Amino acid sequence: MAGTVAVKPSTVKRGGRWSPWLFAIPALAVYVAFLVYPALSSLWFSLTNWDGLSATYKFVGLDNYFKLPHDPVVVSAVQNNLIWTVVTIAVPTVIGLLLAIALNGKVHGKPILRLIFYTPAVLPLVSIASIWGWLYNPQYGAINSFLRMIGLDGLAQAWLGQDSTALWAVMVPAIWLRTGFPMLLYLAALQGIPNELYEAATVDGATKWQQFWHVTMPSLRPAHYIVLALSLIDSFKVFDMIYAMTYGGPGTSTQVMGTWMYFNVFQYYQAGYGTAIAVVITLVAVAVGIPYVRSQTREAS
Amino acid sequence: MTVTAQAPVDLPIAATRSDSPAPKGRRGLVMTFVLAVIALFWISPLALLVITAVRPLSDFIGNGPLSWPADFTWKNFSDAWGIGNFATTYRNSALLALIKVPVGVLISAMLGFALAKLRMRFRRTVMFTVFLGLTIPIYITIVPVFIMMRSAGATDSIFGLIGPYLAFGIPFEVLVLQSFFRQIPDEIIEAAKVDGAGDWRVFFTMILPLSVPALVTVAILDAVATWNEFLFALILLNSDAHKTIPVGLLNFQGQFANNNTGLAAGILIAVVPILIAYTLLQRWIVGGLTAGSLKG
Repeated sequence: MAGTVAVKPSTVKRGGRWSPWLFAIPALAVYVAFLVYPALSSLWFSLTNWDGLSATYKFVGLDNYFKLPHDPVVVSAVQNNLIWTVVTIAVPTVIGLLLAIALNGKVHGKPILRLIFYTPAVLPLVSIASIWGWLYNPQYGAINSFLRMIGLDGLAQAWLGQDSTALWAVMVPAIWLRTGFPMLLYLAALQGIPNELYEAATVDGATKWQQFWHVTMPSLRPAHYIVLALSLIDSFKVFDMIYAMTYGGPGTSTQVMGTWMYFNVFQYYQAGYGTAIAVVITLVAVAVGIPYVRSQTREAS
Repeated sequence: MTVTAQAPVDLPIAATRSDSPAPKGRRGLVMTFVLAVIALFWISPLALLVITAVRPLSDFIGNGPLSWPADFTWKNFSDAWGIGNFATTYRNSALLALIKVPVGVLISAMLGFALAKLRMRFRRTVMFTVFLGLTIPIYITIVPVFIMMRSAGATDSIFGLIGPYLAFGIPFEVLVLQSFFRQIPDEIIEAAKVDGAGDWRVFFTMILPLSVPALVTVAILDAVATWNEFLFALILLNSDAHKTIPVGLLNFQGQFANNNTGLAAGILIAVVPILIAYTLLQRWIVGGLTAGSLKG
C-alpha cells in the first residue's frame, strides 16, 4: 500500500499498523460481544429444540424453519408485518412530505409548528402506547367521547378489543410517532433546492403542479431514499408498540413476528422455535437494509 | 408546555436562520391557519393528557374527557408518583443514561476517528459490519444476551443493560461521528503531527473539541434512545427496585386501569423530562438528524 499516496496524505505516514486498532477496539469489542456474537449464536439456537430453561437440548437441523409455514400464527403475523410495513412507511412519508412543503412556504410560526409535529417522535414508545391506549378506552376514552359528541354514537367501539379494528388502531399512534422524521428531513432537503430552478420553470410556463413533479420531486431524491431506507429497516422490527398496546391480541389479530417470537421464548418455553422466527425477520431486515448500509460505506470511503 | 401554544408565536430558542423572511399577504395567513388547525389536532392527545391529569377523577367521569375541567387538583400527580414507583424508576433510568451515554459516545468517537482519519486495514469491512448493526432487530440477540447475563449474574441489574445498550447505540453513533470527522481538514492534523503530536493527542486536543456539535447531537439522541428502550429492560429486569421508566410505566398502566386521571398524571410524569429536554435542545436534534442522514 506504500504506493497509494493520492487520497489522504496525512493519514499515510504516522501511526503504526496497530495504532488505529487501539482506537477501534473498545467499540468493536462491545459491538461484537453484545450484538454480533449473540446474533450469530441465535442462528445456532434456532437449529435446536431448546426450551430456554433446561441444561440440555438437541440439534434438530432445520425442523424449526420447516414448522414455520404450518404455524397459523406465523401466517397471520407475516401478513400483519406486511400491512404494518406498507402503512407505517407510506402514510408518514406522504404526510411528512406535505407538511414539509407547507412549512417551507410562506407560513407564520414555523419553529413552533415544526416543534409540535416532531414532538411525538421523542416520546418513549411505551408512553405513546399508554397515551393511545387511554384515548381508545371504550368507555372513557376521548375518541369514543368525541364520536358521541358529534352524534356518531354508532361508530364508537372497542378499537383495540376487536379483530377488525385492532391492527389499524395500533398503527395510528405509529403514524403519529413516525411522521416527524420524514418531515424534518424533507424540510432540510427542500431548503437546499436552489430558487433559480423554480424561477426557470416559471419562465417556461410550468404550473405549480408541474413544478412539483419536475423540480421538487426529483430534487428530493436523496431524501426519499434515506426516508424509505430507514423506515423500511425500522418497520420490519416492530415490537414495542404492539406488545405495549395489545399484547398481540385480541386472538392473533395484532400478532407480528417480533411479538410471536417473544411469546414462544418467554411464555411457551420454545426458545429454539422462537429464535428461528427472529432469525427469519432478521434476514429480511438485513437484506432490505444492505443497499443502505453499502451506500453509507461507499460514500465514506 | 408546548401544548396550548398553537398560536403563531416564535419560540426564542428556535430562531432559525434559514427560514424565509416574515411572510405577507393572504396566502401566508391561510396556510398558517390550516397548519395551526392540523397542529392543534396533532398535539391534542398530549393536550388532553395534561387537562386530564390536573382534574379530579369525579370531574372527569361526570363531565367526560372532552370537557373543560370544572375543578383543578395536583393530587393525581402525588398519587401516581407513589404508586408508579417513579422515584425508583427515574433514578434507574437517569443512572443508566449517565453511565451509558458518555461511554458510548467516547468509544464510538474513537472508532469513528480510526475509520475517518487513520490508516486502518480492513477499514471498509469494519465499517460495513458496524453499519449493518442498524438493520439488526434487537430481538434476535435477546436469548443469547439473556443467557450471558444470567451466567454472569447480571440479570435484574441495570448494569447488565449497559453492554447491550452500548452495542446497539454504536452503529448510529459511529455513522454520524465518522462522517463529521471526515470534514475536518487533514492539514491541521498534519500540522499537529509535524509538531510531534501522536494520534491520541490529536484525538483529544483537536478532533473532540472541533466536534462538539456532533458529539452533543449524538449524545442527546443516544440519551433519548436509552431513556426509551424497552425490550432489554423488560426481559432483563424483574424486581421493581431495578425497573426503568418504560417498564415501570407498563406495570403502572395495569394498576390504574380504572383511574383515568391518575393514569394521565403518571404518563405525564414519565414523559415530562423528555419533553423539556427536547424543547430546550431541539435545535441540536433537528440539525443532527438532518446532517447525519442527508450528508452522512
